[in-house]
This record gives sequence, structure tokens and C-alpha cells, in this order.
Amino acid sequence: MSVYHDIVLGTSICALAICMVFMVLVLRRYLAELNRARRDERDTQITRNYLQRVAGQKVDVSTNWGRNTRRAAISRILPLLRGGERTRLLQIAELDGVLAETLRKSHGVYRKERIDAIHLLQRFGSEVCIARLRELMARDGNLKVRLEAAFALAANDALPPPRETLRLIRAMERQPTRLDIALLRSTAPLYPEQMILLLDDDLPDRWRVHLIDAIGWSGDMSVIGILEQAASHSNPEIRGAALRASARLGHPGAAQWVVAALVDPVISVRLQAISASVRLGLRSAIPQLSQLTGDPELWVKLRAEQAIEELTPTERNGAIGEVRT
Amino acid sequence: MTLADMIEIATNLIVWLALGCFIVVAARNAIALVQLLVAGWVFLTRVSPGEGASDLWHRYADLTLPISVIAPAYNEELSIVQSTKALLALEYPEHEVIVVNDGSKDDTLGELVRSFDMYETQRTQIAVLQTTRIRGTYRSRRYPNLLVVDKENGRKADAANAGIGFARTPLVCIIDADSIIEPDGLLRAAEPFMYDDNRLVAVGGAIRIANGCTIRGGSLQKIGIAKEMVPRFQIVEYLRAFLMNRVANAHTNTLMLISGAFGLFRRSTLVEMGGYRHDTVGEDLELVVRLHRYMRDNKRDYRISFVPDIVCWTEAPAALRGLDNQRARWQQGALETLQRHRGMIGNPRYGRIGLLAMPQIVLEDVLGPPAELIGYLVLPAAALLGLIDPMMAVAFFFVSVVFGCALSVGTLVLEEQQLRRTPTARDLIRIGIAAVVENFGYRQVNLWYRLSGFRRFFRNDTTWAAVPRMGFGPN
Repeated sequence: MSVYHDIVLGTSICALAICMVFMVLVLRRYLAELNRARRDERDTQITRNYLQRVAGQKVDVSTNWGRNTRRAAISRILPLLRGGERTRLLQIAELDGVLAETLRKSHGVYRKERIDAIHLLQRFGSEVCIARLRELMARDGNLKVRLEAAFALAANDALPPPRETLRLIRAMERQPTRLDIALLRSTAPLYPEQMILLLDDDLPDRWRVHLIDAIGWSGDMSVIGILEQAASHSNPEIRGAALRASARLGHPGAAQWVVAALVDPVISVRLQAISASVRLGLRSAIPQLSQLTGDPELWVKLRAEQAIEELTPTERNGAIGEVRT
Repeated sequence: MTLADMIEIATNLIVWLALGCFIVVAARNAIALVQLLVAGWVFLTRVSPGEGASDLWHRYADLTLPISVIAPAYNEELSIVQSTKALLALEYPEHEVIVVNDGSKDDTLGELVRSFDMYETQRTQIAVLQTTRIRGTYRSRRYPNLLVVDKENGRKADAANAGIGFARTPLVCIIDADSIIEPDGLLRAAEPFMYDDNRLVAVGGAIRIANGCTIRGGSLQKIGIAKEMVPRFQIVEYLRAFLMNRVANAHTNTLMLISGAFGLFRRSTLVEMGGYRHDTVGEDLELVVRLHRYMRDNKRDYRISFVPDIVCWTEAPAALRGLDNQRARWQQGALETLQRHRGMIGNPRYGRIGLLAMPQIVLEDVLGPPAELIGYLVLPAAALLGLIDPMMAVAFFFVSVVFGCALSVGTLVLEEQQLRRTPTARDLIRIGIAAVVENFGYRQVNLWYRLSGFRRFFRNDTTWAAVPRMGFGPN
């Protein structure tokens, strides 16, 4: 048999195999469409069943519904419930062993499998789920999985303290991403004191910047002194972060150094100061902002013009009552 | 030289030509098979966007990089208002829409000014990248995030450059005015920037054919499949290009094309590079190739990413008339780009781009089309004349046509398994049939159109004929 025979044979087998897979998928889709009405009816029954159980009614629980089907139904109901009803539904779900499969998959060999399980655990957010998520964040060998577990915990306001979080996501070994910043911000309201203590550690500046930024999200007005110190730091990125955090915190005491930062020699700091002035509604900064409209840096000039426009009360912008002088 | 000598030379020539065509077509398909397998692997191991990450993203919306959506518009008076409304309604924490009226001869500008209550303003242009004159800029009293730039006509590249020059956001999304962006298309495309460590410079997204879909108010209401075969063939082509080729190339960091219908870029990088080139008809390919070149020449660590989710829908030519011009233009653009950046081909200085991606474009766009078309003629003829083993001609048919069917059906498998955006099983069958039928006639006609692109390239033809489109009706 020549090489051409082999090519013809190989191509035919390959084409046949692919076409068969395609036909299987078409058949799967066809059957799914065919059973849609029955499936919808079953889902409605499951939903009704769980809602009745949450309401404390006695219902028949010995139905033959699969765990995955029940889990999907609970996932749909969960966002609709709050407080005690939600807790009760989670307890029922755990009693029914609905999450057993998900918990098993969270120990899976493949990263994708574990991360898919994390997404489900996050949606349920019960104590068992949080415990498993913490375990994954602490012990999983794959950084991506740890990060996903961290995001899931953050969504449930259940992240460990910041020092622990940074260690577990191996923060110091890499460049911070925007999602790392989001993680820090979500930790700040939970552990404001630890965030401040962390600043005393020997941290690389690229992370210190984001810690200071996150402090602004703590909602704790007592941090204003720390931010004031940071606003005069030698590193312009830290000065910029302090301005961002102050603006976020909305503490009127920040006005003095925000206005002072409008004449900072570093462009990025001046830009942050302009944004902070707008955010704090500092109409008293308008004279300094007017001077910045003649700034040699185009971006500073443009943002200053924009800021003046936003801070100047007009008929249209409705900011009259909001700005602070 | 005797007649016998001449016959022998001609015979050898035919045999070598046949062998050459066979090798080129087999190599193209071997690469496509590898891409299909890589794409399959990517989809198999792909982690779908987590709710945890997106929850954080929504909670701290200021962390998302603001985007300017730049929509160049030329003679779009019938649809521009609806398209702009759809762009303004995109889900994204902070985005500005910049419509660039590229010297339309109709009332595109008037429609915008009236419908959005616009007034003339003096917006400063950060960077002047266009070659034509800006006539004016307009802002809306009702939509603070809408800017209209009115300029003299200068084609899409020039209009996009004007828009980039006016953008003030870190990211710019360049689209066609008639592109229909998925409501969360910007969010999906910008997601790689959330995980980015400042290396990412551009992101492309999958584009699908809108023919047959229900479009209202510039938004996609219902996915459908066109009745005509030509758009169905193009659905298969787009699936092959986006789900197989680009997914695999992005995975190996060799993505060479971000479609002009939707592309997300770092504004500062585009400005540094001078934006799109005006002297090519394939500005989207040229831009990405030049982006690779620029970053590597400047020894900058960078990444270009691709989102396999559908971010945008576009109307394709509904008949062969119109498709001919589009395909010839694409071919011409590829040849112009290769000529301009020929120094990168096989050049180890450009790493995997020079050694893998550029030779692949040469194989795909320079050698491939003529080799396949000539092969269809030469191999059967040579077999009939007894110059080659007849099985070689049969194998050529299998390698080009049968294997082509398999690859197309393979991408349908990927689509159904991973994205599942084909409405029904019946529609899947319809596209499946198109995936097979396109190899018997349509594929060859397409090759012919591409050869006319070679002709246009050698003639240095710079004319631009608009691709006729049916439109989505007054709604």
C-alpha cells in the first residue's frame, strides 16, 4: 500500500470520527429539545418542593430527582431568598447531600474541575462551602485555583486576614493584577487594623501602593492619619494611592493635602489630586485647578478643565447641593 | 533540444508542480489539524469566568479600565442612530462612544445631531493620527459619554485614527459602525485586562454572522440562520477562523489578526505606533503584525489575547456578488502586509512570530490559494496522462476536500460543545450540511476570488468598493 493509500485511509477515518462526534452532539441537542417541556415541569416541581420545605410545610422528599438536578434548582432559588429562609434552604441542601458531588469534585485531579466546583461552592456559600473554599485557598497546589477560591471567599466576605491572604496567593512573588487589588479592597472593611499593621512590614512598594489604596475602602475614618503620612511619601505612586484612598473615604480632613498635591511635581500625582478634588467636591480647589489648565502636561490640563466643569454648579449638572466648599 | 527532450521537461515540470501543490495543501491542512487539536485542548481546559472574580469586578468598578468605543461611520444615515444607541447601552462601568463621521455624503451627521441633541464643542485631540481635516466635534446634551467627530472622507483606517486621537481612556475598542456588539461584549473582551500584569496590549473576540438573526434597535434580539447558502458557508468559515485558528494562535502567543469589526487595544500603544496605516486595504492585519514588530523591536514584554466568546455580530455578503470584492480585498491586504513586513518572515529576531506565525501566513495566503486551485487542475490531468500515480490525485481530493469537510465539522463540534449559540438542532444540521457542501464549489470559487486579490496586489489597485449588504431593515 502506497503512502497515498495511507493518506486516503487516514483522512477518511479522521473525517468519519469527527462527523460521528458531531452527529452525537446533534442528537444530544435534539433530545434535549424534545424533553424540554418535561424538564421544565420537573424543575418547577423541584423548586416548589424546596420552597415548601423552606416554608416549613411537610412534603414528600422521597422523589427520584438526581442530585445535580436538585442542585441546579437550588442555585436558581438561592438568589431570591434572604436571611432565615436562605439559611434554611442551605441547611436543607446540605441534609439532602446536594453538594456532595461538588465537594468531591473540589478534590478532583483537573484544575478546571476544581475551579468549577469553587464557583458552585461560592454560589451556595454555606458553612461547609466556606470551610472547603478556605481549605482550597490554603492548600491547593495550583495558584489559579487558590486565587479562584480567594475570589469566592471575597464574594462571601469570608477572606482570611490580609497578611494570610497575601501569603496564600503568593502575592510577593508576582506583579499585582487588578483582581489582587479588588481582593485587598474587599479585605479592608473586614480587617482594618490588620491592614494598618501590615504597612509596618517590609513590603515591596508595588504592593504597599495597593494596600494604601485598599485602606480607603475600609470605611474606618481613623485611618486618615496614616493616609496623611502616605500623602507625603517619597514614592509618587504611594502619594497617588493615598489621594485615591482619601477620596474614597470621603474624610473632609483630606482636603488640605489633596489641594497641596495639585502642585505636586509628578504628573500622575497631580492627576490623582484632580480626581480626588472632584470626588471630595472641593470647590475651594477651583483656583488651583484653574492654574492647572495652563499645565504643560496635556493630560493634567484636560483633566483640570473637566474637573472645573464638574465642580462648577450649572443648571444642568445638578451638583450644586453636593459639592463641599 | 528535441521534441522528446521538451516533452520530458514538460512532464517533469507537471509532476513537480503536482507534487508541490500536494505538499502545500497537505501542509496547510496539517497545520489546521494541529490548530483544531490545540483549540480543542484550550476549550477542554478553559475555566469559564468565575462569579467570584466578576463579583469583585462589579463591586470595584473603578478598577475596570475605561474604554472608548470608536465607530467610524460612512453613509450610515439609516442605521447610525440605532447603532449608536446600542453602543451607549453596552454593559460596562465606564465607556465613551466616539462616532467618527468619515465625510459621509448623506445625512449621517444631521441624524446624530438631531437625535442626540448635540452641540458643537472644542474637544482637544490628544494625538493627530489621521491625514484628513477634522471639521468639528459634537457632544450630546443627553448622553455625556457620546462624542461625534466630523471629518473629511479618508476611509476606515483614517476615521479610526481620528477617533483614537480623540480618545482619553486607557483602552480603545475599534469597531465597524454596523457591528452589533453583544450587550456584555465589552465586559468579556476587557476581562483579560483584570488578570493582566501590564503586558496585555490587545484583545480580539469571536465574531459571528448576523444574517438571518433578528436585529432591533441596533441590538441582537434572536439568533437565526440565513436562508441563503452563501451566508451559511460564511458561518462555517467564521467558526473555523475564530474558534480554531485564532484560539490556537492566541494560545501559542502567535495571534496575527484582530478583526476590524471588533478589537480592543491599549490606546497608548496605538498612539506610539501611529495608529492604523492608511496605505493598505488590510489595515487590521497590518496593525497586529506591526504591533508584534514594534513590541519586539523595542524589546517590550507583551501579550495579545483572544476571547473565544462571541462579542460581536456582523452582516456578511448575502450573495457571491459582494463576496468577490471582500475576499479579493482581504487577499490583497494580506499580500501588502507580507510585503511590508517581509523582513520578519523566518527571522529569529522576531521569535515565534518570525519563525512560525509569518511563515504560516505565507503558506496560507501566498502559496495556499494558487497551489490548491492549480492542484485541482494539474493532479487529475497528470493522473489521466499517466504521469503520476492515480492514487496521488485521489489523495489530493481527500486532503483538500474531505479533510476540509472534517475540519469544518470539527469546529462545529467545538461550537456546540463549548459555546452552544446555534439556536436549534435543526440549525446545527443546516450548518453541518453547509460545512460539507461548501467544499464542493464555494471553496473553489473563493480561491478564485483570492487569486483576483493577487491581481489587484500586482496592479497596486487601491480602489475600495463597498461590500453590498442587505441591512437589517428599518427596525
